[in-house]
Amino acid sequence: MDNKIGRREFFKKSAKIGISAAVGYGFISCSGGEEVASSGGESVDIAVAAGSDYFASTMKAVEGLGGMSKFVLKDAHVAILPNSQSRHPGTFTKPEVIRAVVEMCQKAGAAEVNCLTWLTPKNWEASGLDVAVKEAGANLKFIAAEEANFKVVPVQGWKAHQEVMIMKEFYNNDVFIDMPITKDHAGNKFTGTMKNLMGLNYRSNNRLFHREDWTTNPESIQFLDQCIVDLNKAVKPTLCIVDATEFITTNGPFGPGELNKSQKIIAGVDRVAIDAYCTTLWGLTGEDIYAIKLGFEQGLGEIDLSKVGIKEITS
Amino acid sequence: MIKKVVLSVILVLTQLTMASQGTRTKALPKDGDIEGWTKHRTLQHYAGEDLYEYINGGAEIYHEYGFVQVVIQDYINDMGKSVSVEIFEMVSPASAYGMYTLKTDSKGKRIFVGREAQLADYYMNFWKGPFLVTLTGFDETEETRQGLLNIAEYISSKMPVGGDKPRIVSFLPEEDLVAQSLKYFTGFLGLRNSHPFFLWNITGFEHGIKGDYFGGFSFFLFRFEEEEEARKGFQSIKGQKDRRGRKLFTAIYREYLMLALGDVDHLRAKQIFDRTRKRIHE
Repeated sequence: MDNKIGRREFFKKSAKIGISAAVGYGFISCSGGEEVASSGGESVDIAVAAGSDYFASTMKAVEGLGGMSKFVLKDAHVAILPNSQSRHPGTFTKPEVIRAVVEMCQKAGAAEVNCLTWLTPKNWEASGLDVAVKEAGANLKFIAAEEANFKVVPVQGWKAHQEVMIMKEFYNNDVFIDMPITKDHAGNKFTGTMKNLMGLNYRSNNRLFHREDWTTNPESIQFLDQCIVDLNKAVKPTLCIVDATEFITTNGPFGPGELNKSQKIIAGVDRVAIDAYCTTLWGLTGEDIYAIKLGFEQGLGEIDLSKVGIKEITS
Repeated sequence: MIKKVVLSVILVLTQLTMASQGTRTKALPKDGDIEGWTKHRTLQHYAGEDLYEYINGGAEIYHEYGFVQVVIQDYINDMGKSVSVEIFEMVSPASAYGMYTLKTDSKGKRIFVGREAQLADYYMNFWKGPFLVTLTGFDETEETRQGLLNIAEYISSKMPVGGDKPRIVSFLPEEDLVAQSLKYFTGFLGLRNSHPFFLWNITGFEHGIKGDYFGGFSFFLFRFEEEEEARKGFQSIKGQKDRRGRKLFTAIYREYLMLALGDVDHLRAKQIFDRTRKRIHE
């Protein structure tokens, strides 16, 4: 299997119906009491749904991109990667978001939805997400943190990290949905779609991202950011759905910290653009976050939001 | 002889660890100590490098300040509200104070628990001696917030009195200082997290303090081991600008490096530098 999820039949079918990394549906409409606004161009690269019903917002954000069936084809095996790092408010992907994503995948005809993690059952129990995942009808697969369970994946165009080690189980899926919560991080200031992929990488390999002096040497923090970008060159999500409903802007990633209650769900494919958008929710810009800047410079996506088609949906 | 010394050291360290373990667990309320609240789930304990198991991806900053161990205990009340208590034992009162400043901000409500405490929407922090205590409620109701306060007061009452703030804190001029804006840092991660846009590579300092001032600027005071080191730090940031193109004002005094950042002009910067020099000198 190559390094991209969505090979096999998915790619064949996708090619037929025109799915690509850039989502270019380009329809903007008003319906059903929703207010829809767009910016940055005619096509929709990012759909942002706001409202206090997070389940409904998740649905609307994906619908804003054209619906889940654009990404998940019948009989697809779908891997999802929510964040369950802590149980403090604003530090983990909300259960409602997970439920909505799983339901949409099932309605699109997915054969199964697999939530993959190398964290311990204790982490998932503490956040309550173990129950949410199971009740939604997905499989919660705990991957033991043993080298044998991970596959060495060379990074094409690497700058800091030559190879990563991704869960073997990951490659039994056709579609990959990256589902972080955006939040503060004491190390590199920001967590979003790109950093979340460390949740697929072997823990010992993640440790190599951190040089011994990374807490004292600014260059080593930049090295960490470059490693995150390299990891993102090896694994590309089919779709990203970011929980920005309530998230911590201080004391990240563990919390407790100050909560930003933007009540937004952001969906799209372009990780750089999505992460850049999320920084604006708490007064930053993509340029402020080194990993986002590097991601843009190295071709992972667009940092200039004026060039990104953003569809905002408010219920 | 060497064997005896080593054994004595081990014995003393063991006793110290046991004593602090005692303080931490004895300080936790038992069922019946606080009306309506009972223990929920089992007690968790992490020491040293094991903190990574509890705070995956965020333990480094605790280690930078000097982490020893943590106990975690949950509580629930009759209405199903829950509170999580984390008692972090740090290497010193200065370390506990530093983590406290990092985890609090000027928006929280100052309350009188422990040596210093702050209540935010759904959580609170206080420090006392080498302990930093974080209590998290899982909603913002009055009932939960009252539970946080009651449990915090109980824990504080069981902890021995003591712990001074680092001396450098007293060097910050108090005039126009924004309440609860202080951040005390002992390393690079703490420094980076003391300000949203701290972009400069100041290294080699022993510790430092930051305060925000009315008018919209932040003042940093770094202490180095020697004046020469402070001078190197000064040279590394001299003449630089922030991301909005505003000039940084810097000065050194003995082994201290001073930096004013934000909406500040030459006169205001000079004024705060002079006041700080005077306080250090005294």
